[in-house]
This record gives sequence, structure tokens and C-alpha cells, in this order.
Amino acid sequence: MAENDDASLIGYDPLAWLQHAEAARPAASWPLPGTEAEASSQDANQEWVEQTDTSEQADDDGWVNDDATAHAWAADDPAPAPTSQQSLSISLATVQNMQAVAQLYQRLLSALNETDHIDIDASAVNQIDTSTLQLLLVFKRTAIKQNKRVSIDFPSERFIEAASLLGLSQLLAVDHAAAGFF
Amino acid sequence: MKPRIVAVLNQKGGVGKTTTCVNLAHALAKLGKPVTVIDLDPQHHLAVALGEVAVDRSGIDAVMLGERSLQEQMLSVRPCLSLVVAGPRLQAIEQLSEGGSHRGDLLRRGLAACPWLDQAVVLIDCPPSSGILVANALFAVDELLVPMTSDFMALQGLSHLMGTLKKFEQVLAKNYRTTLVMSRYISNRRLSEDVLTTIKKYFPNQVLRTLIRETALLAECPSFGKTIFEYRPGCRSAQDFASLAVDFIEGRVM
Ligand SMILES: Nc1ncnc2c1ncn2[C@@H]1O[C@H](COP(=O)(O)OP(=O)(O)O)[C@@H](O)[C@H]1O
Ligand SMILES: [Mg+2]
Repeated sequence: MAENDDASLIGYDPLAWLQHAEAARPAASWPLPGTEAEASSQDANQEWVEQTDTSEQADDDGWVNDDATAHAWAADDPAPAPTSQQSLSISLATVQNMQAVAQLYQRLLSALNETDHIDIDASAVNQIDTSTLQLLLVFKRTAIKQNKRVSIDFPSERFIEAASLLGLSQLLAVDHAAAGFF
Repeated sequence: MKPRIVAVLNQKGGVGKTTTCVNLAHALAKLGKPVTVIDLDPQHHLAVALGEVAVDRSGIDAVMLGERSLQEQMLSVRPCLSLVVAGPRLQAIEQLSEGGSHRGDLLRRGLAACPWLDQAVVLIDCPPSSGILVANALFAVDELLVPMTSDFMALQGLSHLMGTLKKFEQVLAKNYRTTLVMSRYISNRRLSEDVLTTIKKYFPNQVLRTLIRETALLAECPSFGKTIFEYRPGCRSAQDFASLAVDFIEGRVM
């Protein structure tokens, strides 16, 4: 019975939460391919979630092209120094956005140089943007090319949701039933 | 120029999405604005309401599955008004048995590939669900039109819808331009006024100025495959929609 004047016939106001919902949203994230400068060409947005061919150069992959970090990665020597067999675990933060992506990139990169098996704990994520998902996807592909293993463990609802919205859940192997899409 | 692409959306059924699409589209067409309506509901009520009943004709389903271009699927159904029907495989896309797993960008890609020629407005009639089809619509557009009834449960539904939209806005890092239309307004009723007051409180300057009133004629015309302008030109519902079209173009809100 909150915030309604008594004269109203509406006793309980289901929209009240809107007033309290924090206005925070990720300021700017990478535009989804094609959403900004759509008009230009249709090949630019071809198959941007469909790239599964891991043998191909990242540079040929239209989807990661606009990702500077992906280039940095692809430029790394694909034959890495000998590394540990032990697995290494990296936890994603609650908020994974554009601001955090550079740091995450550094952590993933050094993990990749250290070990053959990286577990990414995604249980805490409750906000994740397209740049982070792109980074994870490129990371996974890079690791596969180097015969390393990356698994994303305990993905939170929000993580799964974001991945499935972007059609990436299969590629990131965090698929779950279509039920509960929302 | 790229047209205004607007998803007519509310996960609640029976709120007037299809009625709004059909009659707003025809009203815009009558103002000389070239309009395309896309039936994204596997129940294809939009096509039926426009008198297009061939159920096995392919439509937006084939566009989403990458087999046809949108232009190929546009049927000219009235002067200045084109229709893209749902097509028999849209249901399969909703159930994810076609088009690959979790593909949210099928519609966006179909629209992006379209040259649009002189189209001014594209209205997408969404299904009453919140599955992959609605996700596709949310992926594809920047603008939403939310039809609302004037009862308490509609507020509840709107609350749920806003929660969903916030998730999408967060994940897609976009900010929808959202307007609402009172699509089945029951006049002379206290509750209607109270609901409207509540909505205006949360959506200032976002409710289109014209109230579409609940009338028998509007409920009748779909069964004849006619818009209100054909079924009973000049009636007050026709006037409501003509006025709503101007609101829509000029951004007149309350
Ligand atoms: N303003 C109105 N007055 C009378 N009947 C209406 C009005 N708007 C919609 N209807 C009727 O209500 C039912 C549901 O409307 P519809 O547009 O199909 O809703 P939705 O597409 O949201 O499910 C239909 O039978 C329609 O004819
Ligand atoms: Mg409908």
C-alpha cells in the first residue's frame, strides 16, 4: 500500500520499484556490430556470432575485427612457452563492463601464459556487457588454438541470459534450456 | 533514409497490439506515409485483420532463416501499406527448433539488409510472450510502442515488461525510446482514470495523447479483414486512430 493517495482505486502500485531502480547503466559499450552504422554494408554484420572455425585467423573474422584486444591477442605467438598443467581459476567480478575489460584482458592473458587449463568462475556476475562477452569468446578461441582448455564455471543467471541474448551461449558453452530465457 | 522501426510490444495478450498495428498503420498510410507492418506473431492475427488469410505463405520466417530478403516478402495490401506475414515456420523459430540455438539477431539482420526505399515507418506486431521472437524484436529496434489497457492487471504486466526491458537495455547497452498508447480505454470509469494517472506518473511525456477508446466496432472489424477506416469510416474509433497517427508522427504526448 505504498505511495498512493487514498483517493486512488489502485491500492498497491506494481510500478513503484521503477522509482527506486538505480539509473546506473553501462555508459557506453561497444556497439553491437551493425546497430550503429547499419546502413553501410550488410557484410559487416554477417554471421557475427557464427564463427566457429578455430583454424582461421582472428583478423579474418569480421566479428572480432573491431576489437583492439583481439588483434593484440592474435598477434601473440601461437606457439606458447611451456606452461603448467595445473588449472588456474579466475573469478569474474559482479560488474563486468567496458571499464573492467582491459584489466580482465590482462588477467586472462597472463593466465594463458602460465597454464594449460583455465577455469573462469562466472557465478558472481550480475552485469556483463558485450565487450566482456566478446573478450571471453576471443579468449576461448585463442586458448583452443593453443590446445588449452578454458571452462566457464557456475555461470550466473545474468551471465547465461546475456550470452543467450547475444547468441553466444553455445560458443561459450554456457547453454541452458530455452525456458527461463527471461 | 532509414524508416522508424518500432516494435509494438506487450507480453500480455489482448491488450490491443494487433489492433493498434493494423489501424495505426492504415492511418499513417492514409496520411501518405509509406508503412510496412511485420507480423511477428505465429498466430498471424495481423495478416487476418488485414484480410490476408493464406496461412502457408512464407513471410518473416524465411527472412529470419536467411532464405529470403525482406523486400521479396512485402505484400502490398493497401495504398502505401505493405505487409510481411508471419509464415508457417515462425513458431519453430520461437521454439528454437530452427535458426540455431539462442539466435537473437535473426530479425535484426533481415532488417539491416533491407534498402527500405521510401518506407517511413515499420511496425512490428509482437507475439504475447517473452521468448526468442520478442528478443529478436528487441534486438532489432530502437523504438517501442506499448499498448496498455486501463485496468490493474495491465499495470502489473507493465511492471514485468519494464523489468525485461531494463535487462535488455543493460545487456545491449541501449536505451529504447518507449512510448505507450492507451489502446482499450474504457471511459467513464474511475479505475481507468486512476490507471492512467499512475502510468503518467512513471512515464511522463511518454503516453501518446489520444486515448483509443474501447468500442464494439473495433472488436468487429478484424473478422471482416478490414481496418476501422474501411469498416466504418468516420466513426469515433477511426477518428481516434487518425488522431493517434498524428501523435505518433509529431510526438504528441500527455
Ligand atoms: N479499443 C478496442 N475496443 C474494442 N475491442 C478492442 C480494442 N482493442 C482491441 N480490441 C479487441 O480485443 C481483442 C484483443 O486485441 P488484439 O489487438 O488482438 O490484442 P493483442 O494483439 O495485444 O493480443 C481483439 O478481439 C480486438 O478486436
Ligand atoms: Mg496480437
